[in-house]
Amino acid sequence: MIPRFLLGKGRADGGRHQASLGALAPAGIAATVVYVLFIGLPIVALLARAGQQEGFLAGLTGELVLQALRLTVITSVVSMVVVVVVGTPFALLLARRRSAVLRVIDTFVELPIVLPPVAAGVAMLMAFGRNGLLGPALGGLGVTLPFTTAAVIFAQVFVAAPFYIRAARIGFAGVDPTYEEVSQTLGVSPWATFWRLTLPVAWPSLLTGLTLAWARAVSEFGATIMFAGNLTGRTQTMPLAIMTAMESSLGSALALAVLLLAMSALALAALSVLLRRTGSTA
Amino acid sequence: MSDQTGVNGASGHFAVSLGDFRTELAFQVDAGRILVLFGPSGAGKTTALRTIAGLVQPDAGRIDIAGRTVYADGNGAGGRPVWVEPHRRGVGYVTQQNHLFPHLTVRRNIAYGLRDRRSEPARQRVAELVERLRLDGLEDRRVWQLSGGQQQRAALARALAPHPDLLLLDEPFAALDMELRRELGSELRATVRQFDVPVILVTHSREEALALGDEVQIIDSGVTVASGPPLTALEQPGRGRVARLVGVENLLEMRVTARLTQDGTMVCAAEGRLLETPLADGCAVGDPVTVGIRASDIILAAGPLPESSARNTWAGVVSAVTLRPPGYEVTLDCDGAALRCHITGTSLEAMGIATGLPVWAIFKASSCFLLSD
Repeated sequence: MIPRFLLGKGRADGGRHQASLGALAPAGIAATVVYVLFIGLPIVALLARAGQQEGFLAGLTGELVLQALRLTVITSVVSMVVVVVVGTPFALLLARRRSAVLRVIDTFVELPIVLPPVAAGVAMLMAFGRNGLLGPALGGLGVTLPFTTAAVIFAQVFVAAPFYIRAARIGFAGVDPTYEEVSQTLGVSPWATFWRLTLPVAWPSLLTGLTLAWARAVSEFGATIMFAGNLTGRTQTMPLAIMTAMESSLGSALALAVLLLAMSALALAALSVLLRRTGSTA
Repeated sequence: MSDQTGVNGASGHFAVSLGDFRTELAFQVDAGRILVLFGPSGAGKTTALRTIAGLVQPDAGRIDIAGRTVYADGNGAGGRPVWVEPHRRGVGYVTQQNHLFPHLTVRRNIAYGLRDRRSEPARQRVAELVERLRLDGLEDRRVWQLSGGQQQRAALARALAPHPDLLLLDEPFAALDMELRRELGSELRATVRQFDVPVILVTHSREEALALGDEVQIIDSGVTVASGPPLTALEQPGRGRVARLVGVENLLEMRVTARLTQDGTMVCAAEGRLLETPLADGCAVGDPVTVGIRASDIILAAGPLPESSARNTWAGVVSAVTLRPPGYEVTLDCDGAALRCHITGTSLEAMGIATGLPVWAIFKASSCFLLSD
C-alpha cells in the first residue's frame, strides 16, 4: 500500500491524470525516495560532520579559506561581467539572424559544456601558454597569462559562458520580433527598444542562465588547475583549496565545502525570489 | 499624386519585393479618412503596410506622410534618395494579434510611445485615450487579463497616444467575433474622425471593407485591381477577377442577343435561358459577356409574380441549402445553370424550402452587371 501523503491529490490539473501513472506509481515513489536519500544523505553528513569536526570554526576564519573565498568571489564576478557583456549581444544575434555561418557557430557554442574541463585547460595552455599559439605574441607585449588570476577568469569564462548564452538565446528567441517593430513605430529607437522591451521580456531566461553560469564558474576546477595552477591567494579558488586542505586540515576542507553549499543554496533561493518578483510586477 | 493630398494626409507609390513576390501600390488618404486595402491572404497587403511603416525597404517609389517625404528612391524629379527609419516616421501600427507588451500594464502600454512618460501632459494623454476607448478601470491590468476586444482597443490607444501622422491597421479585428467586430468598427470610425488621423486598414473581410472604408483598393497578387468608394469597388465590380475576389456568387457566361436602347437594357442568352441586363456601350449583338449577379440581389418566390417590375424570372429546383450566418444560401438548378441566392432563416421556414422544391428566382436587370475581363 502506498502512503496517501506521498501520492497526494494528483497534479495541479485537479487530479485529472491520477490514473495515468497506474502501476508505475509505486516505482516512481521508490525512485523518489532513493534519489532524495542519495542527494540528501551526503549533504546531511557534511553538515553533521562539520558541526563536530575539530578545526572547523578555526578553518572558517583561517587564512586559506578567506583567501580562497575572496578570490572565488572576485574572479567569478569578473567572469560574469565578461560573460554578460560578450554573451548578451552574441545571444541576441544567434536568436535573430539565420545564416549558415551562425548555424555552425550555434552548434559549437555548447561544446565547452560537454568538453571535460581538464581538456579545456590543456587547450587553453596550447593557445595562451608561453609556448602556445599566441604565446610569443603575448610575450612580446610583456603579458603572461598562465598561472595568474587572469587565467582563473579565462578558465571560468570558457566553461561557464555557454550556460548563459544558451539561456539568453532561448529568452531572446521567445520575443516575437513584431513586438520590436511595433515598439519602433511608437517612436522608440532600436537601441531603446532593446532596453525597454526585449531585455525585460527575456529577463527571466537571462537571470536563470546567469545563475547557472555563475554556479559553474564557482565550481570550476579542472581547467583552472591545468591553466592557472594552485597558487594560494592568486589562483587557488575554493574548489582547489578544498583539494589542498584535504591533505592537511579536514576542518578547513569542511569549512570550504559548507561555504560552497551555502553559496549555491543562496543563489538558488535568490533566483527563485527574483523570478517570482518579475513574474508578478514587472 | 502627392500634390493632391492635404498636408495632413499620406500618399505614395512604391514597389517592394519579398523573395520572388513583388507588390506594387499607389495610395492616397486624407486625415480623418479610412483607406481599406482589401484582398485575399497572400495578396501583398501586409507587405504594403509594413513598407509604409518603414519595416520593409521598397525597391523603388516615394512615400509622403503629413507633407514629409519618408522614402524616395532618388530616381524621380528632384531625385535625392530618402530613408526615414521606422521610429522617426510617426506612424501608428496595430497588428491582428495586437502585440501589447506582456511585461507592462495597460497604462504603461498606452504610455510607451510618449516622451516624459511621468509628466503631467503624458498622464493626461493616457487618461484621454483610456476614456475615448472605454478602458476605464483596466489601466492597471496586465494585458492577458483583458478580453480580445479590450486588447484591440488598448493596442489602438497605444498607437494613437504619440499623435501619429498616419495609422496603419493590419486585420485589426480578424481575431474577434462578428458582434464585437461591428462594435469596434464603429468605434474606430468615430475615433479616427475625432483624432483626425489618416488611416490605412488591411482586411480580407468584405463586410469590414464596406463598413469601415471611405475608399477601398482591391489588391490581388501584389497589384491594385480596382479602387474607389466601397460600394462602387465592392458591389459593382467591373472585372471578373475583382468579382471573384469580392465574392460575387453568380457569374454566367452568355451572349448578347438584342439591344433594347429605349429601355437602356439588353438581352443575353445561354442555352435557351434569357437574361435582361443594363445596356453596355461596347457590346454588339453576338458578343460574349460574363454577367455577375450577387446572391443577395435575388428574390425567391413560390410562383412567378403575376405583375412585377423585375425583368428576370427564372424557374428552378432547389438543389442545395447551406447555412451561411446570419441566413442561408440556397442553390437552384435552373435547367443546368446553378444560381446561388441568399435568404433569411425566416423566409426559408415560411416558404418551406428544401431540396427538390421548385421555386422561381426573380431579379432586376439593374442587379445584373457585366464583367469585362
